[in-house]
Amino acid sequence: MSTTIRTQPPPRLRRLPGHGLTDVALARLFIAPSVLVMAAVVLFPIGFALVTSLRSYTRRQVDGFAGLANYATVLSDPAFWAAMRFTGLFTVTSVALEFVIGLAFALLMNHARRGRGMTRAVILVPWVIPTVVAGQMWAFMFNINPGFINSLLGLDDFNWLGSAGWATVTVIAADVWKTAPFAALLLLAGLQTIPAELYESARMDGAGAWQRFRHVTLPLLRPAIMVALLFRTVDAVRVYDLPQVMTGGAFGTESLSMLVRQFIVITPDPGIGAALSTITFALVLGVGVLFVSQIGRSMVEGGSTR
Amino acid sequence: MSTVNGTRVRRRSGGEWLHDGLLVVVFLWCLAPFVWLILTSLKQGDAALNDPDLLQGPFGLGNYVAVLAQDFALNMRNSFAVASMATLLSVSIGVMAAYALARLPVRRRIALMTGVLAASLFPPVALVPPLYEAWRTFGLLNTYEGMYLAYVSFSLPLVIFIMSTFFAAIPRELEESAKIDGASALQAFARVILPLAIPGVVSAMILTFVTAWNEYLLASTFAPRNPEIAQTVPVAIATFTGAVEYQRPIGTITAASVLVTIPMIILALLLQRRIVAGLTAGAVKG
Amino acid sequence: MMQKKTWIAATAASAMAVGLAACTPSGGDSAESGEITWAIGGARSQPGAAHDQIADLWNEANPDTPVTVEALPESADEAREQQALVLQAGGSEFDVLGLDVVWTGEYVENDWIVELDDLRGELDAAVLPGPMESSSWSGSLWAVPLNTNTGVLYYRTDLVEEAPSDWEALCQAASELDDSMSGYIGQGARYEGFTVNWLELYWSAGGELYNEDQSEVLFDVDTATEVTSFVAEATQNGCFAPGFNTAMEEESRIAYQSGDVAFMRNWPGPYSLIAEDTESPAHEATAVAPLPGFDGNPGVAAIGGFNNAISAFSENQEVAKDFVVWAATDPEVQQILAENSTLPVLSSAYENSDDPLITQLGEVLQTAQPRPSVPAWNEISLEIQSTIFPAVNGEMDPRAAAEQLAEFLEGTVAE
Repeated sequence: MSTTIRTQPPPRLRRLPGHGLTDVALARLFIAPSVLVMAAVVLFPIGFALVTSLRSYTRRQVDGFAGLANYATVLSDPAFWAAMRFTGLFTVTSVALEFVIGLAFALLMNHARRGRGMTRAVILVPWVIPTVVAGQMWAFMFNINPGFINSLLGLDDFNWLGSAGWATVTVIAADVWKTAPFAALLLLAGLQTIPAELYESARMDGAGAWQRFRHVTLPLLRPAIMVALLFRTVDAVRVYDLPQVMTGGAFGTESLSMLVRQFIVITPDPGIGAALSTITFALVLGVGVLFVSQIGRSMVEGGSTR
Repeated sequence: MSTVNGTRVRRRSGGEWLHDGLLVVVFLWCLAPFVWLILTSLKQGDAALNDPDLLQGPFGLGNYVAVLAQDFALNMRNSFAVASMATLLSVSIGVMAAYALARLPVRRRIALMTGVLAASLFPPVALVPPLYEAWRTFGLLNTYEGMYLAYVSFSLPLVIFIMSTFFAAIPRELEESAKIDGASALQAFARVILPLAIPGVVSAMILTFVTAWNEYLLASTFAPRNPEIAQTVPVAIATFTGAVEYQRPIGTITAASVLVTIPMIILALLLQRRIVAGLTAGAVKG
Repeated sequence: MMQKKTWIAATAASAMAVGLAACTPSGGDSAESGEITWAIGGARSQPGAAHDQIADLWNEANPDTPVTVEALPESADEAREQQALVLQAGGSEFDVLGLDVVWTGEYVENDWIVELDDLRGELDAAVLPGPMESSSWSGSLWAVPLNTNTGVLYYRTDLVEEAPSDWEALCQAASELDDSMSGYIGQGARYEGFTVNWLELYWSAGGELYNEDQSEVLFDVDTATEVTSFVAEATQNGCFAPGFNTAMEEESRIAYQSGDVAFMRNWPGPYSLIAEDTESPAHEATAVAPLPGFDGNPGVAAIGGFNNAISAFSENQEVAKDFVVWAATDPEVQQILAENSTLPVLSSAYENSDDPLITQLGEVLQTAQPRPSVPAWNEISLEIQSTIFPAVNGEMDPRAAAEQLAEFLEGTVAE
């Protein structure tokens, strides 16, 4: 905790110890608190889950060592593959839509001349509504009884949440509505790191709007795009609230996290639950490593090319 | 200043019309469901609430009165305290780590970033039982600390990643010239780089604050009851029940959602100026 | 300059937050000796609602051993999980546990609750047999009933002359309705309510899941197939309303109350809401009846409700025992429950009531059946939801679904 004091406002800086710190020592000092917090809060539960996944349980009581049997059970469970299918479809579709819409919002906000402040506040509205409430709201609006969306669209008795494909579409739509602003905010932060002169000189060189976007914005926005995609993807793979509240997992909308919750809360078998979490974790981590290596590379490049 | 076109002569072109049209789309996208939320929260009585016609009255403030009669102000206080602490902690330590990762000589940079990220990737549902046991042992159940400590670990990776890319985009020459002027590494960071990164810091703060403000799963496990102690807003909303078993109290739920959204909008309005401020070309020149 | 101001503002805001958050406000009171905590979920646990009134009544008569209500979530899964987290850690925070009728076996197997056979003498004669059965597991009594509940058929007296006695008659009546209306709605969404609704049909057609002591599977694939095919057809041909497969209790009520359907399966709770809604077409035109059966036989309803069990980790088990027996047998307590849209477990509450609805519900309860409170109930219920639900919605063959369910049930006994 004592290290946090060192980020206090500049005026007192001169009197602080650490004036003569080397870069390497400073780096260690700066990274230590984050590593400590992550280790203290998260490492223990993850270790706990890994151990749990190797044990066999009868309901909530341990009754022995299971080896990899829990993993075998999970991998041979059709419910797992169904959840994988939904989670994959949900992730790809919702992240793609959120990225495109979020980027459009971010560009719009970055170039807005009028109502900029209002737009920036308004765009946060979907995102600040608690997910549990947003899920209930959309479920209520889409539900055939009383049928707000149906009466709005002039559909009589269309059962959005009660038919196979449409249930998935509805859940994805709610997620895109809710999280596109998050992507927009991340991308907006990235857009602001692009110096205006670059656009000016591109304009001087006769580049059109599309060319400026293609050759100035996109390459320089790459790190921010990677961060936005990374965090949207790892969140989407772990999606829980929206499908849980909106469909309860009916009509092929059960996600991996919902299945994990089933084995932890509804039909408790901690061994299976932990094995399933570990598999989900491995998946998410695989996606994460791909992104991080990209981000790390672009960071190093970004720092050295200028 | 940083904004492009800021000084151009006003003249409504086709592009501007398109631009304004798109803004309208954004407003509709974000606000239409919110309008539904507000109108629904003003509806009185079961019949109006369950009528598919949004303008079916009677309207009134009854739902808000009911919500405020349920210690909801205390829930708001708890949420505000927990989210503020989570934001303060994760942004302050996250910014330092991000700077180190982006600029300072760190060995195994990518491994470290992956490690920090990985630690937050476990499905939260699976963290609940072990964390509950640990928190119980340390007496952290039903405390602010129990919640914001967990939230810091959730949001730190996001802060670190946003800020690293932000720092990486700031030209190295700035630090180098500061050091030539005799500043230490710490001074170069605190005096030259950090002020330039304020827009990024504000974005990270908003993201962290809202994430903590909305979190339900851990909050409902660590402080499920007692608004006077630590129960947060989403948990309180989930405990709303109707007068009769199974009745969905959509009126009070929507009223409560409107109440929690308003301070967020005010916060966003206040902070949005900071997002635009400074950085990039203008700041570098200065 | 702007940056500096910003930074100062941010720091100031942060400092404010620290001041605010430095310590969690302390509230609540430490447990004194003799005090007991009653952890129970649901709408009736809200401040001032039925459970609070019951606690007040107890506290007036027993000021030395007061009871406090810990209101758990209305969702059964979440309420159970909150109890489980405390009990799994051996916590003594909860003394009396409000158990959904299907949790008994699981709690016994986890050694979370104490056996209560010595209380039988005070209860057997006074309390309804169905709730007593749901409080028992492997021959012993583990909980004391608090309130019960049962499925009934709501119907529109302005549209049909009398309640249909079987499903054929109901669908016949449905086909004669105005085109703008559907026939029937029940709880057809994929959740525990689906299991309950389907079991009622299956029981009504003469099916059983287990024998009396749950040692043998009596599941009948033919009956299950027939019943499932009936629901699938009724969903197709419009006898069941289009929203059936997403309806829980609340959606069912909305559909019925707004005049979209003529028949509804629900608990008695919503009756008062419908009766009070003067704008509803169902207002003053609603009656309840026993559920329809098949081939002229009467329908069988499922039992719901809460039983009170005593935590194995409670430090006040004697007081807790007095409290749970009192709650089950005190006429005033049972009267409070009856006034709060739920059903008493005290037999005399039905005999002495001058409310015709209560008398009628008392009759339904005579034949109502509890779901087996086996430790694996949730597994069974989920299996019903993952086999029968797709079959009802035309995504699986009814016979294949019934066979898969039969196989699963055999596995629960072999354990």
